[in-house]
Amino acid sequence: MLKQAYINKNVLESAKDRIAYIFDEFENIIVSISGGKDSTVLAYLALSEAHRRGRRIGIFFLDEEVVYDSTIKQIEYIMNLYPENAIPLWLQIEFNLTNATSFSDAYLRCWEAGKHKIWMRSKVSYGIQHRPWDTGKETIRNKDIGLDFYAVLDNFQNSRENTAFLIGLRATESPNRWRAVSKNPGYKDVYWCTKLKHGNLNMYPLYDWNFHDIWKYIYDEKLKYSKIYDYMYKKGMGLQEIRVSSLIHEKSFKALVELPEFEPKTYDRLLKRVKGISIGNLYGKDRTMLKVQKLPKNYNTWMEYRDFLLATYPDEEKKQIFIKRFNRHLNNAYVARQQCRQLVLNDYENNLPVDNKPDPREEAIKKWRELL
Amino acid sequence: MTIKTKKGEIKLPCLNVQIVDINMVQANNYNPNAVASNNMALLEESILSNGFCFAVVTVWDPESEKYIIVDGFHRYLIFKEYLQAEELPIIVLEHDITQRMAATVQFNRARGVHQVELMGDLVQALVEQGVPDEEIAEKLGMETEEVFRLKQITGIAELFKNQLYSKSWVMQEVDENA
Repeated sequence: MLKQAYINKNVLESAKDRIAYIFDEFENIIVSISGGKDSTVLAYLALSEAHRRGRRIGIFFLDEEVVYDSTIKQIEYIMNLYPENAIPLWLQIEFNLTNATSFSDAYLRCWEAGKHKIWMRSKVSYGIQHRPWDTGKETIRNKDIGLDFYAVLDNFQNSRENTAFLIGLRATESPNRWRAVSKNPGYKDVYWCTKLKHGNLNMYPLYDWNFHDIWKYIYDEKLKYSKIYDYMYKKGMGLQEIRVSSLIHEKSFKALVELPEFEPKTYDRLLKRVKGISIGNLYGKDRTMLKVQKLPKNYNTWMEYRDFLLATYPDEEKKQIFIKRFNRHLNNAYVARQQCRQLVLNDYENNLPVDNKPDPREEAIKKWRELL
Repeated sequence: MTIKTKKGEIKLPCLNVQIVDINMVQANNYNPNAVASNNMALLEESILSNGFCFAVVTVWDPESEKYIIVDGFHRYLIFKEYLQAEELPIIVLEHDITQRMAATVQFNRARGVHQVELMGDLVQALVEQGVPDEEIAEKLGMETEEVFRLKQITGIAELFKNQLYSKSWVMQEVDENA
């Protein structure tokens, strides 16, 4: 059985060892950054090592266009930490992002050609503006969805070989993902990595870091970090819930509630860029409207609400995706509530998968009935 | 009296304020606006320190023979319930029910939010003027915790400076039978 065993080092010493090991073993190294605190620390550690060894490593940022200005500032900061040791891989290409806030603009094609006048900002001079892979060999996950975030990542990684992709994943932050990636050694006897195609690897040198380790390191090294963290702190919000990525997809639209207080200009540009933004702003944290936790008062059951949402769903093509998917599901309140959430948030991509099982509440009631 | 603009003459109902018996004024039954209790306390504080600056907007309802509130329900409530005033300054609009409902939402929604960063600067300025935290909290309708957070200009990394790094761990294959 696989178990965690403490060793006689702290997480910083270990991370430095792991990064040195990666530099010893791999010629090609690319750090993926999001603008968040974890990838900031990871990029700094890796760039410092590259600097010591006089080597160059790739710094990869997949730019979703609709992000905080603070995120972009942070990316520029990281790209320029050790310019002579960094190969900027700032991808600014067209692909599809789910827009959880609007039915008519169900997705946004970021960096869409011809719309440059309403882009959130102009592209950077050194950005990669065309898909850097053989488009004949391009893969997508689902033809209804086309080229989305994950497909871009896949294609980008597949265009490289024998490359170590460094990712700021931490076990305490994403326990499920950590369990999934650490089951087997992905390379030699190294558990903290996943094997990919063409000799590529995803590697996680910060896997054992805790939240406070990240912040202590940022303090100790006087690193800059995204202002969003300070804003959220000043608003008394949980620091754990912060995401620095796309502002409009089904897991992050809640950020729109505070966006005008954090970055009024970003909010204004976003309003002009895509539909549904003010819906997200007004109802992003509303339990009935967008969080779909409370049944609207004019419905008796979640099934009834789901049937109504489905019947009135404005996009016929996407509606068929939902019908096909829901036909495979059980018909109970527990499942129906999740289906409602998918419909309300336009989740035709199935990023918030439905937990298809008997209603736990009904099951509990049944059990009690049998006992009594 | 009106004021000329590029979109025409704008009426000035704010100049026609009347003082009426507060019992002649009644809430409407559709206002979706809710004010949390801490902001009610702030509103009371505002009326006490600034006076009643904005008349309550109403329409005359011939059926009930009352003035029905279009905007300013919470100001009315402070005056009536908290301060037990007997009179209230009002403006009377000539709106039908559709216009009234629209006006209520326009008044409620067409307003700004405070940028967190500038709010922090504002609190910082008050601190530098020597105003104690408790007084800032009271005047601005904040908890002292919010004042504390806003005046921390150092940022959150500072909060973690005295921490120790966690102990490192590895994944290890353990033989369960051993």
